[in-house]
Amino acid sequence: MTHVVVESCIRCKYTDCVDVCPVDCFREGPNFLTIDPDECIDCAVCIPECPVNAIMPEEDVPAHQMHFVQLNAELAKKWPSITKRKPALPDADEWKDRPDKLSELVR
Amino acid sequence: MPAMNTAVAPIETDAVIVGAGPVGLFQVFELGLLEIKAHIIDSLAYAGGQCIELYPDKPIYDIPAVPVCTGRELTESLLKQIEPFKATFHLGEEVSVVHKRDDGRFDVQTNRDTQLIAKTIFIAGGVGSFQPRTLKVEGLDKHRDTQLFYRVRDPALFAGKRLVIAGGGDSALDWALNFAAAGPNQAGTITLVHRRDGFRAAPANVARMHELCAAGKMRFQIGEVTAFEENNGLLSAVIVSHAGQPVATLPCDAVLAFFGLSPRLGPIANWGLNIERKQINVDTERFETNVKGIFAVGDVNTYPGKKKLILSGFHECALAAFGAATYVFPDKRIPLQYTTTSPKLHKVLGVETPVFD
Repeated sequence: MTHVVVESCIRCKYTDCVDVCPVDCFREGPNFLTIDPDECIDCAVCIPECPVNAIMPEEDVPAHQMHFVQLNAELAKKWPSITKRKPALPDADEWKDRPDKLSELVR
Repeated sequence: MPAMNTAVAPIETDAVIVGAGPVGLFQVFELGLLEIKAHIIDSLAYAGGQCIELYPDKPIYDIPAVPVCTGRELTESLLKQIEPFKATFHLGEEVSVVHKRDDGRFDVQTNRDTQLIAKTIFIAGGVGSFQPRTLKVEGLDKHRDTQLFYRVRDPALFAGKRLVIAGGGDSALDWALNFAAAGPNQAGTITLVHRRDGFRAAPANVARMHELCAAGKMRFQIGEVTAFEENNGLLSAVIVSHAGQPVATLPCDAVLAFFGLSPRLGPIANWGLNIERKQINVDTERFETNVKGIFAVGDVNTYPGKKKLILSGFHECALAAFGAATYVFPDKRIPLQYTTTSPKLHKVLGVETPVFD
């Protein structure tokens, strides 16, 4: 099992989650974060940190976002580690409540 | 079935505890009160588990009657509390084989060939055993333990060698400085490779590293190892890339990578236990698994309503110990006694029984 970052992170990337991760399992892309499923220990500490509720255990991912499980695993392999919080993307607040952002994902 | 090495007589014991985190340590206590002797095994070289490996200096606020303590303090307190029971620690070892014998006991074998025969097993494995994170370069793994290392067991092996040391934490810096220092283990050349010019290590060591680089005693290369070269089947160089472009080819005799530790469930998955999402199913009466005589306590177990709290783990230890007593002392009825009042428990704890007039 692992925890998964889902769609609401796209174009926001608040990064509050990375400070609390005890095993440094977050990876950073241009406008999205992922969790490396090989590193995550399911401690769940990151969940309440996310201002847009983008993190959840694998089994709680809603059906229409299931592809994020695979996407996290795949992108975690190529993106670098992020362990310190940084400012969110400049227009994060504009994007945080928008649905269907997958087409905005920069790989 | 993996063959058991029978060269040395196995250690016979009442109980083997797998995992020396807070719950594994408290299991020693609860077993001790019932006069059940335990051996405790952990893959780390020290007791404390996640409390020491992940949170040694962070405060914990939810241990009953302890308003606040750090992970390290909790570990030290537990070690003190279990002293009377003189458990035997096998640290730096991972249990690889568990096999039920015909007599109902278990053969237990570690990766360092410690062999035990136990009446009961307590898996207090938390999130798994902490293993070094590896360099993810295709094909490189075949050089592991010959030219690629994730820990240093014998520094003398690296004397005079051309070393590439990868990582940005204390371990990478400590070993780079260690091998740069004059002495019998001084390396031939040292290149430290880290993806950025920023380190999560003691500032004095980072400053020392920069001094040595300025003095030409070692080199620092920004980037990540992404490929390697071989010569006659031996690793001859690693290629370092930065921002997607190769930036250096570093000829080397050995690569030491220190990227921290990450927990893995490991061989526990192969012991025939019912496992659901990396957690072991247990009942809530005895915290016993589907294999009679094997118990699971703490973060590694699951049952309806399970909450991964240290205090829940402590409760599980108490009930699991009583569960185990039915195997260790099948003919004995075990009454519940209190440490405050029981002369029998005072004896096992090695304390005086107070006299009240």
